[in-house]
Amino acid sequence: MTLETTPVDPDVEVRDVLRQYEIEQFYYKEAALLDGHRYDEWIKLFADDVHYFMPIRRTMTRRQIGREFTQPGEMAYFDENKQQLQTRVDKLSTGTAWAEDPPSRTRHLITNIRVEDAGGFELLAHSNFHLYRTRLKSEIDEWVGRREDVLRRVDGQLKIAKRFVYLDQTILQSANLSNFF
Amino acid sequence: MSAANSLVDQLDDLVSLERGEIDRRIFSDEEIFDLEMKYIFGRAWLFLCHETQIPKRGDFFEAPMGRDNVLVVRQKDGSIRAFLNTCSHRGNAVCRAEEGNVKNFMCTYHGWTFGLDGELVGVPGKSIFYKDKLDLSKHPLRKVAQLETYRGFVFATFDETAPSLEDFLGPTGRLSLDLLAERGDMEVIPGIQKFVVNTNWKFTVDNVFDYYHPQITHMSAFAVGAIPSPPDEFVEGGALTDEGNRLEVPFLPTDLHNIVMISEYGHAISGPEQAVLEKDYGSQEPFAWRYTPGTQEKLGRYGSRVAGHPHIFPTTWLTAGGQLSLRIPRSPGVTEIWWYSFRDRNASGEQQAAELSGHIHYFGPAGLLEQEDGENWAQSTLQTRGGVSREVPQLLKMGLQTSKIIKEDGLAVIEAPINEHAQLWTYHSWREWLRNPTWEELRARTTPGDYI
Repeated sequence: MTLETTPVDPDVEVRDVLRQYEIEQFYYKEAALLDGHRYDEWIKLFADDVHYFMPIRRTMTRRQIGREFTQPGEMAYFDENKQQLQTRVDKLSTGTAWAEDPPSRTRHLITNIRVEDAGGFELLAHSNFHLYRTRLKSEIDEWVGRREDVLRRVDGQLKIAKRFVYLDQTILQSANLSNFF
Repeated sequence: MSAANSLVDQLDDLVSLERGEIDRRIFSDEEIFDLEMKYIFGRAWLFLCHETQIPKRGDFFEAPMGRDNVLVVRQKDGSIRAFLNTCSHRGNAVCRAEEGNVKNFMCTYHGWTFGLDGELVGVPGKSIFYKDKLDLSKHPLRKVAQLETYRGFVFATFDETAPSLEDFLGPTGRLSLDLLAERGDMEVIPGIQKFVVNTNWKFTVDNVFDYYHPQITHMSAFAVGAIPSPPDEFVEGGALTDEGNRLEVPFLPTDLHNIVMISEYGHAISGPEQAVLEKDYGSQEPFAWRYTPGTQEKLGRYGSRVAGHPHIFPTTWLTAGGQLSLRIPRSPGVTEIWWYSFRDRNASGEQQAAELSGHIHYFGPAGLLEQEDGENWAQSTLQTRGGVSREVPQLLKMGLQTSKIIKEDGLAVIEAPINEHAQLWTYHSWREWLRNPTWEELRARTTPGDYI
């Protein structure tokens, strides 16, 4: 039996491969910061004008699936600017944020990363995530979904300028969202 | 004698107004839960949705009534009906979306089709399979016994003998809804937050009235300025950290004065006086809606002074910030929480955005306050399951038997420092509902006396 290999798509350029590698490493580093509770470093990954948004998903018929997610200006689980994200980070470090003390154990698995040019210094990056969390003795929460990020190069560093998080659950099967996505 | 009977026989021991003690078994017992579903959720007027969620004909919203699911549907003539989401043929749900717009509800099992009014309008192969002998008019979707709205809030009951919604709410329940309705031309913002907490529903209700917990539970939210901070004063003594250091507990100005209203059927309002909130916010400006002459008159002498938190028995909470939370019991240890958020259609874009941001950041699963609340309720519930732990009584002794009840404008009002009167009243009323009395008896037994 011979193994047939597919020739590399001649349209894929080395530049794209390197960019893909760079974004993947960026996300893996971000996941490590979150799972290591290094929130002060994590928040530095965000641009000052970031919009971090997690809409509400609703079970709708296929005919009305266009109304599945709420939009900015409507109700959401997260609708944050940088200052509000910073407040959440600060809250975790007070030592009295009881929902995270004892701290959760989390694992952010980031996959299916697809990158495209958004023009100028910005990239549009799609990724899937699986956030696994255990709390206290035996609590387990899991969230799966996708993220849509706008990444911007600022002084050679990638910054998250926009993050929209789309959860796959409609009725959230957990008591809180005290972690970041 | 079944366990259920024995528990009903022990109702006076399970909840004692005199001792201010609650038996923890009421938070985990399966048979108690079954009785609650039958005698409370099977009889009470229950909040379903707000009219603005279903503005157009064919708009629907699925809401819970105990363990049943009902479809609240805008009719062709503009009225609202609610019926069980279960096909009259084989019981399948006739709609599996949470909300949307339809012309009909068609069961996906055999295709039985129901109009917006719940009437059976189509049966595939009616002449072939039923030889035209099936009387369609006899098999509509099962309707709720009564449906009424108060100022746009849609309620229904399965009990056809229940008093009218207005009578059920009484002055305290109506004031609770007025405190939201009077904020402006209110509509529900699209998107209902829905999440699950491993807790008994009664803990979530109890917490509505509890102004003793914020200083500790929400300490981190105060610390980062997520909610207006108490003055730079700290409670003497009390809590010590696990390192043995004195925990500096921010002193809540709400400690100064609370207004409590307890009422027939178990509704209650308990929370700080409006003036305290204004002190926190540094002005009356955010509360401008309260100070129009019409609103002052509508809210009345005591209603104008009360800031929150109103609760309509059994599970509807209205916040001081323009939200409504429904706490839906799914089992003794599991409660679903839904957050409906409102906005004034006529408010400026900036004002709407600021209020929306408050709604997102205070409550809900990512809320800077409710994250910690859920943790407490879940742990309290867990400890009611221990064979020995469950025998430790739940204590509600704050200010017990010391507070005089003032009766005015149909209200029963208590003015006192932070207390546990409304919680205790809720459990007392809960106990009376479980005796399954007539509506007259229930009303009499849940009419406040002179002291609590």
